[in-house]
Amino acid sequence: MAKDLEKVRNIGISAHIDSGKTTLTERILFYTQRIHAIHEVRGKDGVGAKMDSMELEKERGITIQSAATYCTWKDHTINIIDTPGHVDFTIEVERALRVLDGAVLILCSVGGVQSQSITVNRQMTRYKVPRIAFINKCDRSGANPFRVAGQIRDKLDLNPVFMQLPIGLEADLKGVVDLVLMKAIYFEGDSGEIIREDEIPANMVEEAAKYRELMLDAAAMFSDELMEAVLEGTPTTEMIYEAVRRGTLALAMAPVLMGSAYKNKGVQLLLDAVTRFLPMPADIENTALDLNAGEKPVILQSSPDAPLVSLAFKLEDGRYGQLTYIRVYQGTLKKGDAIVNSRSGQKVKIGRLVRMHADEMEEIEVATAGDIVALFGVDCASGDTFTDSQISMSMSSMHVPAPVISLAIIPKDNKSQINMSKALNRFTKEDPTFKSFVDHETNETIISGMGELHLEVYVERMRREYNSEVEVGQPQVAYRETITRRAEFNYTHKKQTGGSGQYGRVAGYLEPLEEGEYEFVDSIVGGSIPREYISACDKGFKKSMEKGPLAEAPVTGVRAVINDGASHAVDSSDIAFQLAAIGGFKEAYNKAAPVLMEPIMKVAVEGPTEFQGGVMGSLNQRRGIIVGTFEEGSYTVVEAEVPLAEMFGYSTVLRSLTQGKAEFTMEFKAYRHVPKNVAETLMEAAKKKKAS
Amino acid sequence: MRKEDFIAKNPLRILIPETGPKRMGLVMARAGLGKTAILVQIALDSLLRGKRVLHVSIGHSIEKTRAWYYDIFRDIVAASTLEEAAGIQEDIHRNRLIMTFKEAGFSSAKFEERLHDLVSQNIFRPDCVVVDGIDFATMERDELEALRKVIEAQEGLHAWFSGRCHRDDSHTSEGEVPESCRGYADLFDIAILLRMDPEQKNLVLTVVKDTSGATKPGNILHLDPATLMINP
Repeated sequence: MAKDLEKVRNIGISAHIDSGKTTLTERILFYTQRIHAIHEVRGKDGVGAKMDSMELEKERGITIQSAATYCTWKDHTINIIDTPGHVDFTIEVERALRVLDGAVLILCSVGGVQSQSITVNRQMTRYKVPRIAFINKCDRSGANPFRVAGQIRDKLDLNPVFMQLPIGLEADLKGVVDLVLMKAIYFEGDSGEIIREDEIPANMVEEAAKYRELMLDAAAMFSDELMEAVLEGTPTTEMIYEAVRRGTLALAMAPVLMGSAYKNKGVQLLLDAVTRFLPMPADIENTALDLNAGEKPVILQSSPDAPLVSLAFKLEDGRYGQLTYIRVYQGTLKKGDAIVNSRSGQKVKIGRLVRMHADEMEEIEVATAGDIVALFGVDCASGDTFTDSQISMSMSSMHVPAPVISLAIIPKDNKSQINMSKALNRFTKEDPTFKSFVDHETNETIISGMGELHLEVYVERMRREYNSEVEVGQPQVAYRETITRRAEFNYTHKKQTGGSGQYGRVAGYLEPLEEGEYEFVDSIVGGSIPREYISACDKGFKKSMEKGPLAEAPVTGVRAVINDGASHAVDSSDIAFQLAAIGGFKEAYNKAAPVLMEPIMKVAVEGPTEFQGGVMGSLNQRRGIIVGTFEEGSYTVVEAEVPLAEMFGYSTVLRSLTQGKAEFTMEFKAYRHVPKNVAETLMEAAKKKKAS
Repeated sequence: MRKEDFIAKNPLRILIPETGPKRMGLVMARAGLGKTAILVQIALDSLLRGKRVLHVSIGHSIEKTRAWYYDIFRDIVAASTLEEAAGIQEDIHRNRLIMTFKEAGFSSAKFEERLHDLVSQNIFRPDCVVVDGIDFATMERDELEALRKVIEAQEGLHAWFSGRCHRDDSHTSEGEVPESCRGYADLFDIAILLRMDPEQKNLVLTVVKDTSGATKPGNILHLDPATLMINP
């Protein structure tokens, strides 16, 4: 293990589905000698790629969970987080980005920048992740890295700078020209492991000189030394590397490399670029909140001697119990140490500390600032911060989108019921966007998440990993209710039926809350409601918000204010005030112009231009708003905002509409009011369901 | 300020009266002076009046075009303390469609086809089209004439285009169509020129052509060089 922090790189590999991330990672592991044979994602040998350790991933050929692994390359330690390409698993991407210092953005040289690349890029920008681009699949028919670079500029708003040029394209791809060394590089041997340097082919000398000049111009913006050297005609390799590194770290430049992972071309040079241009942990400023100082942000020191601050960013239920992936930001983590969970205050002892290599592991004694490792047997939730007992800090909270779709699941037998509980317990801990609860009226277990595929995968995992067979209901959209104006209430709950009675009066108002789901404000003066019953009022309002009167949907965006009330010396109780608050809420709710809200999804359909009209029509029919179209040659992207309720089964419709040539992605955009006619139907259905 | 008051007081009213605007308008300027900002302000004026706008952007992404609207609307809200801005923004979003093309990918035939798709399927029936980024210098005159026909074929549709003039045109006298735009300016009903006023260090909008006579040539509006907003 490299102790030198300057030689540690924590990187992510992110991209659009099917652009070859897993294949590339597999090659990296091969060249860094972590594995000794290459297995393809959908390979005939049936072994599957190393990073796709879950059975389901192997079967579907997509990566679902970000597996963490590490390797060493030319005395550098590289921790790699492989991230999923599907939007439904975006939380995985976001989590991975949180702990990364840099990233490789993989783009397909044929498909170019597709909608998921745009989403991932936006996330990287949000987390200020420096990135380099690797244009993969240059061996494919229709490969055009120059077009892709243009898209990097136009669609991703990055500054792409060619560090290489391809020698041949499509079936003729032979190698690359390194524009810094001004050499042709070829990859020979059975698996491209032998790198041969040669002179640049004569027919490319002019082009290479032109692109080198462009690269030098771009790099010189970040180094006066290089600028002078370029003017004098004496730039050195080191000067260029340093300037490109500075530009990349400043997020002002994205070095572009290229090749074909599948054909074993260009991967070693990408690894060189990772060590040269992407940041070491100390280059990145990370902050935590000091819980002893009113959550004041504190900049963390990437030093092994400072007090420990580490973040549990991913949980997995392995063969040997819970495996917690952890990133050490500051200090040192040692086997046998006692660490404290900042959220729960719980102290835990580190029994086993391991370094992960997909689904294999290596026992280690110590991890220091900058490392990504895993702990065994530590009970915590994803996103928890661990420190030593000297300080109390929490890493800033992570942006977690709210679930937009739900499904009822019914276990087929008693054994499945028990296993289902275990599975749900695990999944909800692992994935903050996946939630489960029991509907007390129907007694059904409801799971909710970010899309149909997201839930489908969990149902499948229940069956495979937990041996729990469940029947699945129709997907339900997670509607919400909210109020649009202020309304007063003054409600007395009184019950006298022999014995001790119930009495409580609450008065105040409900009003729309612009940000957040719920706020309770106690404006009682003079003790008209005794202190001990205030929390009961809060509880009553919260209970009322679980199911709104319009369509039994959860109520959000409400501020409940109490400013008056009354109590009785004998008959007042917690429950009496809870019921009074429920009564007050009901009284005000209907006066507060309640409306139904539905999740609106941002949909991007990509496909041949000839189908554009039909695609727009199909989105329009689904109450969609067409936001824009982007046309490039024979290829078009239609962007729209469509209610989730209208998107069920859209993949089938799109397939038949476009002869299977178009694909779509969608992600949650916002909650918006349901149109009146649709709301009436929903309310009617809710009424009927309640009556039955 | 109420939306209605803003519409009535909008300085653009001098150029585009609320009733009977021109069929085809042209905003001319040197590169980087603010043609897109003017087009977006014209589009926003239409959107605020409840009209539907199709924004055709050549060479820019949807994201970038959307950012123009967002920034200019934010400036309008800040400068005029426009009431119910969030609701108006929602309406703008609903009534605007951005269509982007690569430089080489735009043609009158393609535009006609796209417009037909939108209108015939009742997806989006624009009242106003703004077309930003056409390189008139390289476009054939036949193409331009065909484009005008496409606009004219849609009942009640108005269109505004941006046209780039050359640096060398700067000596063109005030009130004249710059030399580099003369080859096509005749196809437009109204043409306005955006230029830098060297003395006032201000951007100035001048009407250089109006076939209807409704707008007096020479009418001048000033643009804030920092925000590219039309000054009242």
